[in-house]
Amino acid sequence: MVDSGIDTAVRRSADATYRPTAGPRHRPRQGLVNVLYLPALALLAMFTAYPLVNGVGLSFTDWDGYSPGHHLVGLENYQRLLSDGTFRTVFVNTLVYALGSTVLQQVLGLGLALALDRPMRGRALLRAIIYLPVLVSPVIMGTIYYLLLQYDNGALNDIVVALGGEQQAWLSTTTGSVAIIVAVNTIQFVGLSMIIYLAGLQSIPTMYYEAARLDGASGWSLFRRITVPLLQPAFATSIVLNLIGGMKLFDVIKVLTGGGPGYSTNSVSTFIGLTYFNAQSAGYAAAMGVALFAVIMIMTLVLNAALNKRRLEA
Amino acid sequence: MRRRLVLTAAISALTLALTGCTGGGTDSGGGKGGQVEFLTGTAVDSPLYGQYQDLVKKFEADHSGVKVNLVPSSTDHEGDLKVRLASGNIPDIWMTHGWSLLRYGKFLMPLQNEPWAKDLAPALKPAMLGQGGELYAMPVDTDIAGLLYNADVLAEAGVKPDDIKTWDDFNRAAAAIKAKGKTPIYAAGKDQWPTGLFVDWIAPGVFSEAELKSMKEGTFAEGSYTKVLDTVGAFREAGLFNKDYSSATTDNVARALAEGKTGFSFLMNFVATSAFEYKKDARIGFMPVPTANGGEPYLISGEKNALGINKDTKHPKEAKELLAFLAQPENLTKLAKASGSAPGLTSAQSDLGGLQSSYDTYVKSGAVPTVPYFDRVYMPNGAWDTMVKTTDGVVTKQSTVADSVAKVKTDFTKLYAQAK
Repeated sequence: MVDSGIDTAVRRSADATYRPTAGPRHRPRQGLVNVLYLPALALLAMFTAYPLVNGVGLSFTDWDGYSPGHHLVGLENYQRLLSDGTFRTVFVNTLVYALGSTVLQQVLGLGLALALDRPMRGRALLRAIIYLPVLVSPVIMGTIYYLLLQYDNGALNDIVVALGGEQQAWLSTTTGSVAIIVAVNTIQFVGLSMIIYLAGLQSIPTMYYEAARLDGASGWSLFRRITVPLLQPAFATSIVLNLIGGMKLFDVIKVLTGGGPGYSTNSVSTFIGLTYFNAQSAGYAAAMGVALFAVIMIMTLVLNAALNKRRLEA
Repeated sequence: MRRRLVLTAAISALTLALTGCTGGGTDSGGGKGGQVEFLTGTAVDSPLYGQYQDLVKKFEADHSGVKVNLVPSSTDHEGDLKVRLASGNIPDIWMTHGWSLLRYGKFLMPLQNEPWAKDLAPALKPAMLGQGGELYAMPVDTDIAGLLYNADVLAEAGVKPDDIKTWDDFNRAAAAIKAKGKTPIYAAGKDQWPTGLFVDWIAPGVFSEAELKSMKEGTFAEGSYTKVLDTVGAFREAGLFNKDYSSATTDNVARALAEGKTGFSFLMNFVATSAFEYKKDARIGFMPVPTANGGEPYLISGEKNALGINKDTKHPKEAKELLAFLAQPENLTKLAKASGSAPGLTSAQSDLGGLQSSYDTYVKSGAVPTVPYFDRVYMPNGAWDTMVKTTDGVVTKQSTVADSVAKVKTDFTKLYAQAK
């Protein structure tokens, strides 16, 4: 009797203990798989591990960033970090960029995902338009908004003047500039959050909602009791990605404000660049980099632990 | 079979790693395959770069077998150069951007015995010659600058440039310009670096000789630096700056000068060259910088486009020949004209276009003393950025004069100790 493939598949699926036979075609080649990791590991070592170790080493020196020699200075650069008022300013800015963008992106991203998860005309087009800025380089994004906001010939001021108002120097104050940077970063990456939440929403089986509706649940309680708990993995992914991106914010600031007025809109990342190349304090810049790495790592670990705990509770 | 696979993969990974390690290279010869690599430090669309291209073509035609790899500048020539120096992948020739002696001297070949070196412009000697007469670069041009002004705007306000001798005179002139609805000082806060020039322009007329000497020896003259930033703070309080300061670029300054929207600019003469591109017949000139201590007004001078040779280059003969070719009077005249500055060697002719009249009046006549860029001589290497940011803080009222001075003092002390 000839055994059809379907019969075999059915028999195998019925037998929970079935494992592929150890013939030459099915033998697991774990050794080969491990070997195939090697190129990736080599790249990781070259572009991540080596610079990281080298950076930590540099943070204990007074290297100027280009001369052949340098001296060991112990913990001096780290002590300087603690007493540097400018570093405190840029660190607070970094937290504002990271937390501000993350909160806005979650609220807007989830809202857009909920709106565009429903059947409606033009849904695919709207999703594409909102996601499109994610594909644009932050430098281009910053330049577009600079051209929009600049004093002379800026599109926004042209509109204001056309409506009878006066030209405004939108990027002249710290508060205004920081808010604009948060807004531009949010507009650029809200599409990413939206896609993550859309994927999360579509993975929730509709039978849960149907069963809840039979029990009399509706609207807000469906969202609070079913959607939010089952979106926990999406929350974790989106929040961690946005937070890390915000903590490392660089390009938009460089293009939009150049870190000014003064040092007031710099992030730690842009300040590291200034300290390394312009102030010629590569050792101190490396200490800032190590501090930023440590802060991001701790934040990510704490956040992941907290979100995982909520997921398990849910 | 399995062993062979493991071996193949391991070799592949190792090859990849080694390729990456050698890609940046420690080849201090710069150009590849016999090419002389020349980092011009100037943008690809600038008149100077075009002139370099023309002259290099002629040089290559005259020197068979020699190829020159001209590299235009990115937006951060200094940053690019520092990365190249740090990695040991050093170009053969590079533009030293005002730092041939103090910053890059240890990487450069001494050139004081080259035939063209005897013609070094006098204004460049304080900044470019070492204590033993060492010269590390061939100066294409001389950066001589003062206060740029639009003559029509000043005339409309009844201001004569030669009447401005002190900062009080300047403030009165600026108030008259403001009363005519024009912006007295147009500054480029978006580009940031131009803001540091306020200190370079004002400080030489504030610091005493004794203070300047003590600055060179590592003692920060806090009182005089405070006076410099107080002068800038007074400009802000009087509303002399452009409203779009924070989003303005040097291009905006050039445009404002050309279109008669502003009276003054504290920027180098290349901005006037750009302004003439907006309006060929714009009446733009430069005047000596006023003083605060009752001394004589002065002009600022220093190294601008100067070309040094890597001391470890694999092409020393070709690199020296190229510099000698560029230093020929007819070639240097073309290069200096393209950069909008006076030539760096006395053997070449000066052609400053619209600025020639100011040059003849104040520079050629020798009527006005010149002083070096304050930061290059009296501040430690690396202090420029602090000067820029702290002055920007005063202009934008993001920091007080006292806080800015304290920051400069801290970095001055730190960098001076680091340099020692």
